Amino acid sequence: MSRARLVKGFVLYAVAIVVLLLMISPYLYMLLQSLAPWREVDRVLFPSTYGWRSYEWLLGGGVGALPRPWLRAWANSALVASVVTFSRVALGAVVGYALAVLAFRGRRLIQNFILFHMFYPGIILLIPAFLLIRSLGLYDTYWAMILPGLVSTWAIFMYANFFRSLPREVIEAARMDGAGELRIIFQIMVPIARPVTAIVFLFLFMERWVELLWDMIVIRDPSKQTLNVLLTTMFGPYGGYPGPLYAAGVLLTFPILILFLIFSRRFVKGVSLVIST
Amino acid sequence: MNWKKDVGGWLLASPYVLAATVFFLIPLGWSLSLVFYDWNLIDPVRQFVGLENFRTAFTTSRVLYAFVNTYKYAAIFVPSVVVAALVLALIVQHLPRLKQFFAVGFFLPYLASGVAVGLVVRGILSYDSPFNEFLRATFGSSPRWLRDPTLALVVISAMIVWKFAGYYALIFLAGLQGIPRELYEAACLDGAGPFVQFRRITLPLLYPAFYTVLVLAVGLCFGIFTEPYVLTGGGPRFATHTWQLEIYYQAFDRYRAGYGATVAVLNAVATFVSVLIIRRVVEAWGVRRGFR
Repeated sequence: MSRARLVKGFVLYAVAIVVLLLMISPYLYMLLQSLAPWREVDRVLFPSTYGWRSYEWLLGGGVGALPRPWLRAWANSALVASVVTFSRVALGAVVGYALAVLAFRGRRLIQNFILFHMFYPGIILLIPAFLLIRSLGLYDTYWAMILPGLVSTWAIFMYANFFRSLPREVIEAARMDGAGELRIIFQIMVPIARPVTAIVFLFLFMERWVELLWDMIVIRDPSKQTLNVLLTTMFGPYGGYPGPLYAAGVLLTFPILILFLIFSRRFVKGVSLVIST
Repeated sequence: MNWKKDVGGWLLASPYVLAATVFFLIPLGWSLSLVFYDWNLIDPVRQFVGLENFRTAFTTSRVLYAFVNTYKYAAIFVPSVVVAALVLALIVQHLPRLKQFFAVGFFLPYLASGVAVGLVVRGILSYDSPFNEFLRATFGSSPRWLRDPTLALVVISAMIVWKFAGYYALIFLAGLQGIPRELYEAACLDGAGPFVQFRRITLPLLYPAFYTVLVLAVGLCFGIFTEPYVLTGGGPRFATHTWQLEIYYQAFDRYRAGYGATVAVLNAVATFVSVLIIRRVVEAWGVRRGFR
């Protein structure tokens, strides 16, 4: 390899690493500040010592005038996001299969309606959906956060596209074995659709985990709030405790990052599926 | 046999049919009637007001701020994010190895909650922060960031650029990988340097990716909520106010359900028309330059 090419490669990697550090610097800042001694938070970039005080304070409920159930809020986020995402993935596969593989009267109608539904601006539905939840008696319950999100048009769309691209023989072979439709879906189709599932799961989990507006309007009780909402409401009142707020930020952000890094080997392949549709 | 097929199909599709009826069709009908009423969400009596809500929306400055600010956000956000995403994609594309590692790393900001990032931005911009100390030591003063109408808009736009650049970079990257290498080799033989190659080959062939990114980025500006909500509340003096902040404020802070629904309808119309216009413009530009 020539010297010029070596230098060029070196410069390219140096640029790439600097840009990468810049992109992840807010995460690093959050982590460092959450471990910093309280008098150094937001005053020093790299703390003189590291400790768990912010986390102990936070997970102890936050002492002082405003004790808040932070750990519980984390569990609320995990519960709501898991239930909703699991349902969206499973029902996405079932409905996507029905639309892509089964020939039944009314299929075109449902397909066209899904497209209309997907591109209809959701903001118009915010207030009436709230009224609906309230008139069903679900205001300030977990159901209010879960029920409206159990089915995702995007998940259906992704699975239907993927199943449509599969050779018919795969499905015919499964049918020959006399398997029922649900068994075909979950034992044959879903395992084949792994790249789709990885990407759909990841995007939908993240989307649900960082939801703010809806969770803010349907939940009042702090013990049912998600971590994202609790952190938002504590922005002002906890202004004098930035260390614990950063600890809450880490609890909010890092689970998603870790989840993503676990999935990331399938990720780039999966994303090309998202982009191509 | 045939009806059995139909029943099976509808049975498997029923979760969607049910969800769409309850959480889409019913609220849809409701929203269309809400705009004609004045209602505080609690009172059993709803006051029919005809088109009064629309009249109010067109004559109050709050909605006008939301409307105008969206285009200000777009003016900062869209060009910045396109350039940033293109640079990220070009870096990844030219790396001989570890492409996947860097593509994934650049994508990480997309996973952040706006609330957590808001926390970091507030900390970094606080008066005693190392960053502001540095500015004061070097230039003698530090700006009042979020209290300054222009800077607040820039800060929030920058947060959103940071979040989406890595995501849009993947779209550009897919486009870059679709360009045949032979084109560059042929251009090289003809004596074209890297800049000419970039302008004559890369940019035109990336047109579909540009189109996608532009449409996504413009549409996004109409749905900004979390970042200004946690950082500025739409201030100072409505400089960072957005459509969604206005809808939330009217419906869930002032309890004006009918008026909030009206603003939501206007938001949807503004989004639809703006995205349509940007699509037409980009398409016309593409046709004129011969990209499509």
